[in-house]
Amino acid sequence: MAGWLFVSPATLLFLIFIAGPFVFAIGLALFKWDLLTDPEFVGFDNFVKLFSDPLLPRVLGNTFIFAFASIVTHIVLGLLLAIAVNRVISRSLSYFLRVAIFFPFLISWAAVSLLWKYVLDPTFGFVAQYAGMIGIDTPNFFTDPAWALPAIIFIDLWHTLGFTFIIMLAGLQTVPTDLIEVARTDGANAWQVFWRVTLPLMSPTMFFAVIITFIGAFQIFDPIQIITKGGPQNSTTTIVMYLWEKGFQAFQMGYAAAVAILVFLIVMGVTLLQFWGRRRWVYEA
Amino acid sequence: MRFRRGRTALSVLAIATTGVLVAGCSGGGGGDPSGSAGGGESGELTFVYLGDADQQKAFNALFAEFNKKNPDIKLKAQGIPAGNWADYSNTVATRLAGGQTIDIIQVATEGQRLFASKGVLEDLGPYIAQDQQLVDDYWADISPKLKQFNEEFASGPNGEVLFIPGGFNTMVMYLNRSVFEAAGVEIPADGNWTWEEYLAAGHQIKDKTGAYIQAAGSGYFIDAMPWLTTNGASTFNADWTVPTFNTPAAVASAEMARQLVAEGLSPEPGGQFDVEAAYKQGKLASLTGGRWPNIGIRNLDMVDETVIVNWPTKVANGSPVGWDAWNIAKNSKNKETAWTFIKFLMSKEAGEYFASIGGTIVPARESVAASSFFLDNAPEGSIRLSEAMDYATPIPSIDRGAEAQKVIEEAWLTIISGQGDAKSTLDAAQAKLESLVANK
Repeated sequence: MAGWLFVSPATLLFLIFIAGPFVFAIGLALFKWDLLTDPEFVGFDNFVKLFSDPLLPRVLGNTFIFAFASIVTHIVLGLLLAIAVNRVISRSLSYFLRVAIFFPFLISWAAVSLLWKYVLDPTFGFVAQYAGMIGIDTPNFFTDPAWALPAIIFIDLWHTLGFTFIIMLAGLQTVPTDLIEVARTDGANAWQVFWRVTLPLMSPTMFFAVIITFIGAFQIFDPIQIITKGGPQNSTTTIVMYLWEKGFQAFQMGYAAAVAILVFLIVMGVTLLQFWGRRRWVYEA
Repeated sequence: MRFRRGRTALSVLAIATTGVLVAGCSGGGGGDPSGSAGGGESGELTFVYLGDADQQKAFNALFAEFNKKNPDIKLKAQGIPAGNWADYSNTVATRLAGGQTIDIIQVATEGQRLFASKGVLEDLGPYIAQDQQLVDDYWADISPKLKQFNEEFASGPNGEVLFIPGGFNTMVMYLNRSVFEAAGVEIPADGNWTWEEYLAAGHQIKDKTGAYIQAAGSGYFIDAMPWLTTNGASTFNADWTVPTFNTPAAVASAEMARQLVAEGLSPEPGGQFDVEAAYKQGKLASLTGGRWPNIGIRNLDMVDETVIVNWPTKVANGSPVGWDAWNIAKNSKNKETAWTFIKFLMSKEAGEYFASIGGTIVPARESVAASSFFLDNAPEGSIRLSEAMDYATPIPSIDRGAEAQKVIEEAWLTIISGQGDAKSTLDAAQAKLESLVANK
């Protein structure tokens, strides 16, 4: 009884904010509803419409590109930064670096998006201004379809790298130093120590970071909504942005719910795939 | 950019109802025409409107005036800061769907037809009949065009009156006198100039002072429609049933907007910069907007340094117009009280007060728009905002307006940023608009 009471607050929150809306969304996906009038049962029409939408492949493509780029940049740079900071001997400098790298993560997406809109403004932004001084013609990051998604990827990296860095740093500090010393004693150079000792022992942490990064990146919305609104020419329309447009611009709530179900299935599918694949590269002590 | 708020096409109109029960002038109101109980001079009203922090100050002052005369009516006003009417409507719709009770909702042109078609609004006929003299006084003092537009675009399916139009906005240019003088460019005394004269002015200003003539953007109301209407074009035909976004005149308008960017007369679109600061520093020769830039102009202490002129023309004067409107929801439980508030909003006193404290719209009453309440502490030429109603085009707002707005703004941005040529881009946008009209 005591156990049930202890878990009841978390269970209640889960039921109200996660399980309940999830079940509601499944039901809503079977209806046509514009928020203003009564819903109309349409069965699986929303799903048929979804899978015949010519825009869906583009939207999913943008989302997977963003997620993949996010994972690669976060893991590589997060790890490199963690290794670099971990080697800093000065304690105060180490603290300063951790705070500085993590700090952007604390800023709201609205502030981050607005900040980068100013910084990357093609005329008055300081990137364009300083690049112009040295003869570099910067692209119009938010109106050029070739640059808009990379710009969003970069802004997301700037904002959230600190979180991955902290995870990597924590993982790095769990690597037993005696194993590293033994490896060095046996003649391993720095690269071999990193590749054969550190990285395998870090693999569970990296696996966690990959899972978390994918789940978050696949649902990217805020900077796109604030900066590019899915444009130019749908080049930054991701699946959640698409869901928002269908639900709150087109007022097709049932269709938006169908998109939400698709997001859930993809994220769950990829996560299960990653768990299945972990045996190939994650070192279990 | 702070100045680039204001009207943009908005199709979602979440509930426009909220009735304001007009009871004041009729001395007590008698019985409720709809049968609901209660008088109209007490109660609680929840009211939402589009307004950021600056605008909320002006609205709050207006509400305080209302409360002086109606101390028993508690008005809970919620300003929703949104970049455009589409986002505002989405927010309101979401709140309503989430169960929030809202008695009064400011409804813009962009959403009036949508709500009128959903059968959620009360027929105001009985309320108007109950206070006929007051309403007739109001009709007599507003532009006949505004009344006509309200009947044509915002009536119920059987011609019933669902909305009382409030203030409106048209599009003009606010010119920085200092920049024009420094460049040796004469500001048109009658407020009229042509596209060619505007381009020439832009070049001269850029050469002599380095300033840009205006900021380029892709807002439906504030950027696309002024260039379209001054060349005899529009996004839709007169009754909003057929898209006309790729006519030769529309293509020419888009090319004109692109020309400003391509020739370095406007900053490249796509980012964000402080428009007010640039205007104050003389880096921007003009601001564009309706009445709303006036708040910023006052804050910058540049009222005397600014003069308002009409949008440059190609074939004739042109401007989009969008107007606020008030209505009563069928399921409102405070109809009589809401009508009291509507009557207040219709009153000359409210119009004068709101104009004088820095309202962001042109008063519906022509007597107020031509009075010192509206024209004092405002740039020279402010009368042109209301005069523009004579040639203005209602901002086309079809049922799927938010989606249409996105198509229009995306196409305009593609063109002005040089990512696509005007003809093919507008052709593609036209096809999408036709699809939206066909699939209501």
